[in-house]
Amino acid sequence: MNINDKDDIGIVFRKTIGHYTVHTNGRELDCVLSSLIHKQLIYPTADPTSLRHRVQEVREIEHVDPIAIGDHVRFMDVGQNRGMITEVLPRLSKLSRPATVPGQRIFEQVIVSNADLVIPVFAVADPTPKWGLLDRYLVSAESSQLPALIVITKMDMAWKNKSLDADLEAYRLAGYPIQKVCANTGEGVSELKQTLQGKNSVLVGKSGVGKTSLLNAIQPGLGLRVNEVGKGEQGKGRHTTTHLEMFELEFGGMIIDTPGMREFGLWEIAGEELAYLFPEMANYVGQCKFGLSCRHDREPGCAIRKAVVAGKISPHRYKSYMNLRGEL
Amino acid sequence: MRSMAASFGDFRCGHCHNLVSAAHTFSGVNNRNHCPYCLWSCHLDLFVAGDRLSACKGQMKPIGLTMKKSRNKYQLEKRGELMLIHECIECRTLSINRIAADDDPENILSIFQDSFLNSRQTQQQCESQGIVLLSEDENELVYKQLYGVGIRTLAV
Repeated sequence: MNINDKDDIGIVFRKTIGHYTVHTNGRELDCVLSSLIHKQLIYPTADPTSLRHRVQEVREIEHVDPIAIGDHVRFMDVGQNRGMITEVLPRLSKLSRPATVPGQRIFEQVIVSNADLVIPVFAVADPTPKWGLLDRYLVSAESSQLPALIVITKMDMAWKNKSLDADLEAYRLAGYPIQKVCANTGEGVSELKQTLQGKNSVLVGKSGVGKTSLLNAIQPGLGLRVNEVGKGEQGKGRHTTTHLEMFELEFGGMIIDTPGMREFGLWEIAGEELAYLFPEMANYVGQCKFGLSCRHDREPGCAIRKAVVAGKISPHRYKSYMNLRGEL
Repeated sequence: MRSMAASFGDFRCGHCHNLVSAAHTFSGVNNRNHCPYCLWSCHLDLFVAGDRLSACKGQMKPIGLTMKKSRNKYQLEKRGELMLIHECIECRTLSINRIAADDDPENILSIFQDSFLNSRQTQQQCESQGIVLLSEDENELVYKQLYGVGIRTLAV
């Protein structure tokens, strides 16, 4: 085995249980994790310049998986296109959700890292859009300081959803860009390509909304597996994509396809900061009678409630805010 | 116990502060939207009953009674269900609500009697929204709806 002394840097494109595909300089390596990454070494803080810099404690890391798609990692090349990841480089951004490991407490699950754009994908119909879920994606993106682009797919079935434009008005009011596309007819695909160019984007959405079909329409060569909408358990659709994967786009940029997420919890968002994560509400925070202490629920003189009544904030978005606030 | 604003479940009345159970067993309705003791409500719905989209959240005062319009065009006028009229004290929105099984009938009667003293403005607002306030002439009808028998029978 030819072990290089020098560690290389690459990007994690794909992961399956215990194995990570890392791209570097046009090469693709199958990597495993160094056991050090699973641990957190605690050094003394009293005198950081001390030469006797001994590890005081070893703790388990608080993640489901320390590596996320899009991570820039340092790895050791062991030859035969195999390697070992030794370090995760600092992330520029991350999109996380809470994950419960059975029998343990809730951990952070980083879905993707170093992304530039979050694309919540919703079908015009089949499955019916759940706007509450969209609000969760948007709040999570705002929390990660990532811009979001709402994509509505299956526009050839627009006749099935007469209230679509009225529902989307709330998001236009909030300032989110919206693109309507159809993978079958090609409607809106070229505009979407222009938006994706040069960006590192991540597609998120429920099962069966057509994320993978959209990806195939954007870049036909990908030829990813797609299914008809599943009639699976409780009419919730069947997962077609079962793992996270990043693809390089031929017109520039990268895109990450994610498996359908029926639920999306919010990670490390405090109740007090939630209103800041609704862009249309952020300007009113602090203008209430009770200032920053206002919960925007039933307090008299609440500026946000006044703005809702005045039609400046959608009542649906306000209801979403209240629902999320109740969870935090 | 959650507040009325956040809930389709049990709540504490914002007006009389009594605890209110929203269980269908007690109320006989699916959307318990007013207190059975004081009959005050909270302005929570915006477009349709139960949508909970209103941000006003003001208290709603019971201002009178009306009859639910029957869809049966052959039915005699004013037959149907007795309904409470609520008016939001913040934004003056009116809404009509079903009377629940556990609503206090004495309170309903006193609201009916107080409604004769409603201001002209309130009466006009009801008229403009097609809500017909029950008048003194409908005393017998209200008693029949509440107790199953008319006031004369009840007096005997």
